[in-house]
Parts: sequence; C-alpha cells; structure tokens
Amino acid sequence: MSSTSGSATTPPASSDTIVRSKGKSRTGLYAVIAVVVVIVIVLAAGYAAGWFKSSGSTKSSTGTCTGPTPAVLSGAGSTLVAPLMDQWSASYTASTVGYSAVGSGSGINDITSKTVDFGASDAPLNPAQRAAIPSPGVVTIPESIGAAVPIYNLPGISGHLKFTGQILAEIYLGDMTNWNNSALQAINPGVSLPVASIVVVHRSDGSGTTFAWSSFLSASNSTWKTTLGHSTTINWPVGVGAKGNSGVTETVQSTVDAIGYVDINYALTNGVAFGAVQNPAGNYIVANLTNIASAVKDSNVVFPSPTGDWYNVTVENAPGAEDYPISTLTYLFVYKDLGAAYGSSFSLGTAENLVNFLLWIVGPTGQSYSAPLYYVPLASAAVTYDTNTINSITYNGAAIPTCVPS
Amino acid sequence: MTARSGRALRRKIFSHSMTVLSGAAVVVVMIPLFWIIYECVLLGGSHLTLNYFTQGTPTACSTISCNAGGGLGLIQGSAVVVGLATLYAVPVGIAAAVFAVEYGGERGLARALSMSADVLSGVPSIVVGVFVYVLVLYFDRSLVFSVFSGSLALGAIMLPIVMRTTEEALRTVPHSVREAALALGMARWKISLRIVFISALPGVLTGVLLSIARAVGEAAPLLILDNTNLHFISLNYPSESMSLSIYLWALTPYKNWTNLAWETALVLLIFVLVLSLASRLVLSRLSRKWKA
Amino acid sequence: MTRGNPFPPRSLRPIHRAPKWGDRIFFGLTLLGALGLASVIIAMVVSLVHGALPAFYQINFDSFLFGHIWNPDGCLPPPIGFGPCSYGALPFIVGTLVTSAIALLIAIPLALGAAIFLTQHAPLWMREPVAQIIQLLAAVPSVVYGFWALIVLVPIMATDVNPVLAQNLGWTGLFGGPHNTGLDVLTASLVLSIMTIPTITAISRDAMEAVPRSQKEAAISLGATPWEVTRRAVVPYSRSGIIAGIVLGLGRALGETMAVTMTIGNRDAIPTSLFSQGQTIASLFANEFTEAISPLEIPALIEMALLLLGICLAINIGARLVLARLQLGGRTTTE
Repeated sequence: MSSTSGSATTPPASSDTIVRSKGKSRTGLYAVIAVVVVIVIVLAAGYAAGWFKSSGSTKSSTGTCTGPTPAVLSGAGSTLVAPLMDQWSASYTASTVGYSAVGSGSGINDITSKTVDFGASDAPLNPAQRAAIPSPGVVTIPESIGAAVPIYNLPGISGHLKFTGQILAEIYLGDMTNWNNSALQAINPGVSLPVASIVVVHRSDGSGTTFAWSSFLSASNSTWKTTLGHSTTINWPVGVGAKGNSGVTETVQSTVDAIGYVDINYALTNGVAFGAVQNPAGNYIVANLTNIASAVKDSNVVFPSPTGDWYNVTVENAPGAEDYPISTLTYLFVYKDLGAAYGSSFSLGTAENLVNFLLWIVGPTGQSYSAPLYYVPLASAAVTYDTNTINSITYNGAAIPTCVPS
Repeated sequence: MTARSGRALRRKIFSHSMTVLSGAAVVVVMIPLFWIIYECVLLGGSHLTLNYFTQGTPTACSTISCNAGGGLGLIQGSAVVVGLATLYAVPVGIAAAVFAVEYGGERGLARALSMSADVLSGVPSIVVGVFVYVLVLYFDRSLVFSVFSGSLALGAIMLPIVMRTTEEALRTVPHSVREAALALGMARWKISLRIVFISALPGVLTGVLLSIARAVGEAAPLLILDNTNLHFISLNYPSESMSLSIYLWALTPYKNWTNLAWETALVLLIFVLVLSLASRLVLSRLSRKWKA
Repeated sequence: MTRGNPFPPRSLRPIHRAPKWGDRIFFGLTLLGALGLASVIIAMVVSLVHGALPAFYQINFDSFLFGHIWNPDGCLPPPIGFGPCSYGALPFIVGTLVTSAIALLIAIPLALGAAIFLTQHAPLWMREPVAQIIQLLAAVPSVVYGFWALIVLVPIMATDVNPVLAQNLGWTGLFGGPHNTGLDVLTASLVLSIMTIPTITAISRDAMEAVPRSQKEAAISLGATPWEVTRRAVVPYSRSGIIAGIVLGLGRALGETMAVTMTIGNRDAIPTSLFSQGQTIASLFANEFTEAISPLEIPALIEMALLLLGICLAINIGARLVLARLQLGGRTTTE
C-alpha cells in the first residue's frame, strides 16, 4: 500500500495513528455510547410501560345514561380558584382535566386565542376584552365565590389586625410607609405596632384578585380611583411583585413586616395571619364563609345574560352589617358554540365531556368541595342560572347531550 | 538595607499577596457551586425516596389532602420535549457541520456557517421562545401552547451546540487521514462518513450530550410555550416539565410542591452535572490526543 | 509489487471512476442541514420583525426607547385604561444594563483572579480539575440558580448583608431605600455575576495560556516578581482575549431570564438604588408576555426582544470575531 505513493513517511504514520488512536479512544467512545443506550432503553421501557399513552378509554356509565369516551379538557387562568379547580380535576374522573394556574390575565388571553377549552378569571371581561373575543363569543359562568383578604407578617401581633379601605389604599399608594402610624394605631388600640417600614407585596402578573382588591381600593380612596383605577394589572407605585396568589402568600410569609392580598383559602390553608376589613356598615369583619355568603346575598346582584356585559357585576361593599366587603365571584368563560369556535379539531365527544364537567362542578358534588377548601358554595339561584347557561352551549347549532356523573 | 532592596522587598510582598488574593479568588468562585449542591442535597435529598421516580405530580396541599407525590410526570414531560428536540437538532446540526467541513473550505462558506451557529447560540433563550410563539401562531393557533412548540424552541437552542461541537471534532481529524484515503480512490462521501466522522464520533457524541444537558435545564422558552401543570397527554397539548416546575413551585406555600421542587432541582442538577463532567472529560482527553 | 501492469486493481484506479450518486446524495443531505441552520436564523429574524411591525409603525420610537412609563393598559379605553398610554421601555433597558454592569463589576476581578491563579501560580496537577469545576458553574440550569437564590440567598441578603451595606455604604447614595426584602437589583446582579464568572474565566484562561513563554521569561530575566510578570507580560499580551471573554459574559448576562425574574422584585420602574426592585427585558417577558391584553402590547414586547437580540448579537459576534482571530474559543461553543 505504501509503496504506490511517493512519500513513504506520511501514510504509514497516519494509518498507524488511526489504528493506535482508535484503540485508545474506544474507552471514551464506549462510555458515551453506554450512556446514550441507557437513556434510550429507559425511554423505551417507559413507553412500553405506558408512560406516553394517554389515560384509558373506557366509557363511563352513571346508571341511567352512558357518558362519552373520556377526553382531555384544558383550562387556564385564575390562581384564586386554583386549589378548588385542582381538587375538581383530581376528583372528576370521567375526563382528564388539566388546569394551569397562570393568572386571570393569561386565562382571558388563552380563551381569546382559543388555546384552552375554558378560561378562568376572577375579573369579568371588560368591554375591550369582550370585543376581542372572536365569534361565536363566550358565556360567563360564575362557578365559585372567594374573598381577598389582607395578609401580613408581624410576628409580635396575634389576632386579626383591623384595616379600613382608606388605610389599605394609602399603604398601597406608598403614602403610608410605617406600621406604627397614627391612623392604623387609632383603629387598633392596645396593639403595639412595630416601628418598621411596611413591605408592600402585590401581584406581578395579571390577576383577578388584583381586580377585586383594586376595585375595593378605588371605592375607598379617591386618589386611587383617579390615578390607578381597577384592573387586572395596576401600575403599582410601590412594592414587590410576586406571581400568583401563592407567590404573594410565600413572599409575605418569608418577609417580616410585609403586607399582601390573597384569597382567603391561601391565608387559611397556610396559616398566614390576615386582617379584618371595615365594611360600609362600619364593622370590622374577619372574612369567613358565612359573611362572604351573606355579602353575595345582600348585594342582590342581578346576573346579566350569559353573553352580556358582566363588567359591572360586583359583590363588594354589600350593605349588610356582617358582610365581608372584599368578596368576589370567580368566573369561567366557555365558547357559546364549541363546534363553530374550535372547528373540526373539537369533536362532539369532547364537547360532551366539557359540558358534563361544567355541570358537575356547579352541581351538588362539585360544590361540596368548596367549603372544606374555604370557598363559598353557590346559592341555589346561581346554580340554576349556571345550569341553564351551560345547557345553552351548543355544538354547531345543536344541543349537546349531557350525562353528568354523580 | 538600601532603598533599592527595601523597594524590592515591598514588591515581593506585594507579589505574594496578589498570589494569595488570586488563590482566594479561585476559592470564592467555587463556593457558589458547592453551596448550591449542598442546599439541593440538604433540602431535596432529605425527602427524596424512590417514590420520586414512580409517582406523579400531587395536587397542592389542602385541607382535604396532602400527598407527597413524585416527579414521574415531570420526568416524562421533560423526556418527551427534550427527546423530540434532540430528534430535530442532532441530524440537522451534524449535517450542517459535515457540510461546513467538507464543502465549506477553510474560509468563506464554512466561516459563514460557523458564524451562523454562533449567532444562534447568542440568542437569549426567552427570545427563542418568543420567536417560536410568533412562528407557530402564524401557522396553527392550536399548537402554540404545546409540547411540540416547546420542542421547537429547545431544538433551536440545541442546534448550534451540536453543530459547533461536531464541526470542531471533525476539524481535529488530521488532513493526512483524508489525503491517504483519497489517494486510495475512496469515494468522498465514504471518506467523510466512514473515516473522518467515525474518528470524530466521541466529540460528536459529547456535543449531543452537552446540548441535552443544556436543553433539559431550560425553562424560559417553556414558560411561554409549554406552561402548565398538566401531565403529558400528547404532543399537541402542553405538558409539565422538570425545569419549568421548579420555577412554578419555587414560590408556593404548599409544602408538598416545595419539597418536590427541591427534589427536582437536585435530580436535575445531578443529571446535568454528571453529563457535563463526563462529556468534558472525554472531550478534553480527545482534543489533547489529537493535538499531540 | 505490480510494476508495469497495464491494468491496476480496481482500488487503485483514479478517483473519477468512483460512483457519483453517493457523493451527490451526501452533498444533498448535508446541504439540507446547512440550509436548516440558516433557515432557523432567517425564520427567527423574519418572525420577530413581522411580530414587531405594528409597534414600529404605531409607537414613536423615541418615546419607546426613552419613555420611562410602561403602561400599555392605559391605551385601553376608560374605564379600563388608567394612567397615560405609554409604551416606554426605558425601565427595562436600564434594568438590564444596570444588572449586567454590576454583575460584571463583581465577576471580572474574581474571574480574572481565578484565571491568573490557574495559569500562573497553580501547580500543574491542580489546573485542569479546578478549571473543570469552575466550568460546572456554567452547566447549572438557570432555574436552579434562581431557586437557590430565592430560598437561600435572598433571606441572607435581607437580614445580614443589606443592613451592613446600607450602614457603611449609604453615603454613596447607591444604597438607599428600604432593603428588607432581599428581592432587589443587588441580589439579581449577584446571581448574574455567579453565572458569568465561568465564561470569563474560561476564555481568559485560554488567552493567558497562549502567551508565549518567551514573554514571561524575558520579564523574569529582568527581575520581575511573579505579579509583575503577570501584570506586565501576560495580561497585556492576552488583553484582547480577556476583553472578548468579558464581552461574551456580558452577552450571556443580558439575556438571562429565570434567575433574574426570581430575584429582582418585578417592578416596572427605573431603579433608583441598588435596593430598588427592578425589571429587565427578559424578566418582563417572563412575567407579562402570556397575558398582554392591550392590542399593541405584544408587538411592543417583541420590539423590545428585537432590541435585546440586536445588542446580544452585536456583542456575541464582535467577541467571537476577536477570539477567532486569536484562535481561541474552543471552550465557548457549549455555553
């Protein structure tokens, strides 16, 4: 071989090099190949074990009716209702329900862009958002009731600190910067407030809880009303932003002298101190299921038509003596005609799955999970209203057969 | 002692102190790595059991239930999205690198391709996520939030890594090998594939492994494209993943989710560090060999 | 040896007799790969520009670049819209630049010190292992950094470090304002610096190792102490490489998302002190991209992404060109 070429030195050297180094580099090569093979085997074994298959496909039966083949439903939005929604997803076995707690703002965006089957928000659609929703439009379904409470981290203080809307607005405006200010002290006699600056915590993402909170502050303080307004996102003048109800809870829990606002579920489940808020009747109310429910009842809210304008629906500042002032409904948005909205990729079976799920969560079984998780169950009038709304959802113009599991 | 030797002494002392300072710099620089490993082991390892690899994601602790759960769903989600990305990135990256080395010449086209890969690797990962968002939105709205688009973004991040590592591995093969084979009348493509590429295979494989290590740790594009706690269903739905779940659960008050986040951080850290270390060791041994 | 045989064996025949289809297919396949790489980049530029077009047309670029109020919601009709309708990106540009600058300020002395020690003073058996360990810092995922920083570093900053800094360095005017959260520009910059150190160390090491022995020996023969050798012979020679490494590290810091989002406090305003909460372009995306509701908000965000991309690309390409000319940079491909 080497005698055909002119130079006798290079080819033998390189061929020797090939042979020699091929021998030496084999160890590294083998090690690397071994790792790759192991990964492939694990994935293959997983595939065989059914890791990558979706859940089973047996039809559910509830005795009198036969349900559709289980489908996957996806929803996104409010973090306020997330613990309840997660409980519903886990307990409802007739479909696979996946819920992403990305915040009410994202939830509204997602349903507008038709990337989810239902959107969840504690803020109703504002006129601009309603206009942005493509045909055939969505129906608004209030599925639960929560409340925003002020939470704080003041180690030396026990019980529930009292707040007024005016004080809370001043804190969040940055006008009130110390815990031991006179206004707060005046309504909390006998409590030794720390000499420390208030660490304000608010939401960094678009939030229905922010909508409820800022609505209350707007009603309590004219400066807030004219400069910051009420919306799912606010131009916060001061404070640290945290993502989601859980982010605010965690930030307040780990920062001394902090104040934040979260749904009562988060405060109670995680043992965070929360305050009493003064209602229009002048009483300082510590939120609980009873006074939130009475607030909803006393506000005599009239639901508009399901496809109508819900922007002015509010259960805040109810007139009753014992009503909690920062109560809030929380809504689901679903397209009115599922076939027309999503097209052929959304089958009748999936539509049945969705409608059955919605009926289940507003029905007795779904609502029975509310109270243990510190959400207020819907009153019977609201349940009737919602059932009618859900039954009005069509698929390509035709009614959707229902078969709700128990 | 003259003035000159006094100055000399000062210079010596100064030099010694600078040596000490630079040594201190090395120690300070290594501290965060060991600290992070320590915290992950402490906070993640204390609860880590084999359940992590067999159980799925639990619902958040509530007054009704508080399961510890496990990371199986997370591992599946990450495996699918990164596996899919590898399927795109590796063939394209290797082909592009072979093209650059074989047909690109020493300058011009080859340099342009290398520069393109460097350009792509300099893009922040969140911008890659935004790009895929805009792209997929244009073609098919329903696929925007899905494992599929997440894998597109991760593939775009992995591609330049695979391409550049393959290219450098191919270039370390000496020309004499190629010339010898050519002189024997071997077909050009056979030379590229059977001789040059096979010789460079360890380098290529380490590039693949490094890109996998990088992709499995990326959360920013998934935050936009694959943001959910839904377990893996199919490619057109979003799915949970290890890297993103750490971010989503970092600030929650729910103990079972926080524990799971630490365990996931530990598992992810070990996986990435082992892959990186092993790849670099093989690569450095290889490059040292070829340089000799 | 077959001498004078008029019919040499097949294996020795000239190359042009080899089958052509194999070469053609090979060329085609590899060309596809190269085109694939190019098309990803082209698709990226085209998509981002297309996405940002509405913002280019409808938002005044000056008010975008220098406006210091980011309030896209204000552009919605009342009663939803509050405040001025403003798409000012300045808070995020400032946030990005400030965090990166402080990160570099912290990272450069440490990284250079480490590189100097590893190339000039460390015993040979120590060099490669320690260098590999430092490189592992670059392999740690950003989320893990952010998580660790959030749970471990932030409380330490809030209770131990910040008060000390405020007390002793308050006179500089940089350490004002409340500092008891630990979620601020300072903490984010600190985490960023940890993430940029490996890049700077690796490239500086390469640059310093490339200094010819003759330079160092000449300095030693003139009576220089080891430090003076480093300062007068090694560093000036490797200066371009070091600067390229710093610039490459800057490029990485500018685009860092997860670790920054988790530590910076997420406030859409220009930071007035190191203890202020802030927001970078990348962290803004993490927080607000998926829920942009006002019509021009996403195009405006994409315009910001293009801005970030442009800066990162210019930095990256510039640094890599310098490194290529110096024939360094083997270590940077995987970061």
